Amino acid sequence: MSEELEHSFIEQLEKHQNIVHKVCRLYTNNQDAHNDLFQEITIQLWKAYPKFRGDAKFSTWMYRVGLNTAITLYRKKKRTIDTQQFDNIEFKIKSEEYDDTEEQQLKLLYSAVHQLNDIEKALVFLYLEDKNYREISETMGISEVNARVKMNRVKKKLKTILNP
Amino acid sequence: MDELDLLKKDWKNSESNFPKLSYNDFYGMIHKKSSSIVKWIFIISLLEFVLWLLISFAFKDNEGMKRFETYDADMVLIPLAVVGYIILAYFFYLFYRNYRNISVTDNAKILMENILKTRRTVKNYVAFNLIYLAVSVVIVLFIQFEQDEVFIAQIQQAAANGELIKYYVIIILTTMAFLAIAIGILLLFYWLVYGILLRRLNSNYKELKKLEL
Repeated sequence: MSEELEHSFIEQLEKHQNIVHKVCRLYTNNQDAHNDLFQEITIQLWKAYPKFRGDAKFSTWMYRVGLNTAITLYRKKKRTIDTQQFDNIEFKIKSEEYDDTEEQQLKLLYSAVHQLNDIEKALVFLYLEDKNYREISETMGISEVNARVKMNRVKKKLKTILNP
Repeated sequence: MDELDLLKKDWKNSESNFPKLSYNDFYGMIHKKSSSIVKWIFIISLLEFVLWLLISFAFKDNEGMKRFETYDADMVLIPLAVVGYIILAYFFYLFYRNYRNISVTDNAKILMENILKTRRTVKNYVAFNLIYLAVSVVIVLFIQFEQDEVFIAQIQQAAANGELIKYYVIIILTTMAFLAIAIGILLLFYWLVYGILLRRLNSNYKELKKLEL
């Protein structure tokens, strides 16, 4: 592939790199796994770039490739470490005295989101990124109505995880 | 405030905590090799095609097959071989076409369906090979009963001893046991390799399909 293509791709990716970081944040629990997924998303973006026509925004296109890589193409390598780290986080939260600060609530929330399945995480991610239901349905390949119904279920599920 | 709205507020603020990767970091990354499941499916599928080709060549060269060539069985064996190769070419074409259709820029559901479709093509090819193997073994056995001197002598001996049925039962059971072991080993291999490789994809696909009910 030409240097020019490479240059324009890296420049755009550098500008929008937070999107990839955010996907990794939701789908991984430690720095190694984060870096690993980040690497794979970057490769998938680069492989798909020659077909990127510019009729969609680069960032919109990145959401789709990033999520597809995280929920479909990526193979987790360090599963045991993931679980262990996650258990530690949970343990810490449970053992601390209840403190109704926003920070404490956020910790619990992030921990609850990590307990969702891959598809639910994708919906939460798109919601957090201010995507509307049409965009969510187009990215996931489900109807708008189903996206809405599922999102409500995810909200309920989060409530249940937070207040068992 | 809704839990997710609280999270959204923090989500936006937390962007500044991410490390900033430089142009050179990205340059290094795009020159590394992917380890996606699509790549693994492609490699394993190619190996499966190669494996079955090797098996067919290995059979061709062994002593038993050379003895077989002396029989008057071309009317059966040549069409059997031709059908085998035509079907191999057809499956390979299907596999390649499905593989080319896999695009990471499709929506999640279509992407998953295309990967599973590619996988299914190879699975069908293997199923075809197992059936083909079983049918071939049965045909070969019939031809041998009719034409192989060793078999004819054994059948005559068994008939003279009044053990013809016992003889046939032993041969048929031995053949079935051989086929069952071969098929069992292959199925175990499949269950392990694809079970591990596609576990996540399958469960995510089921989850998406469930949303449509």
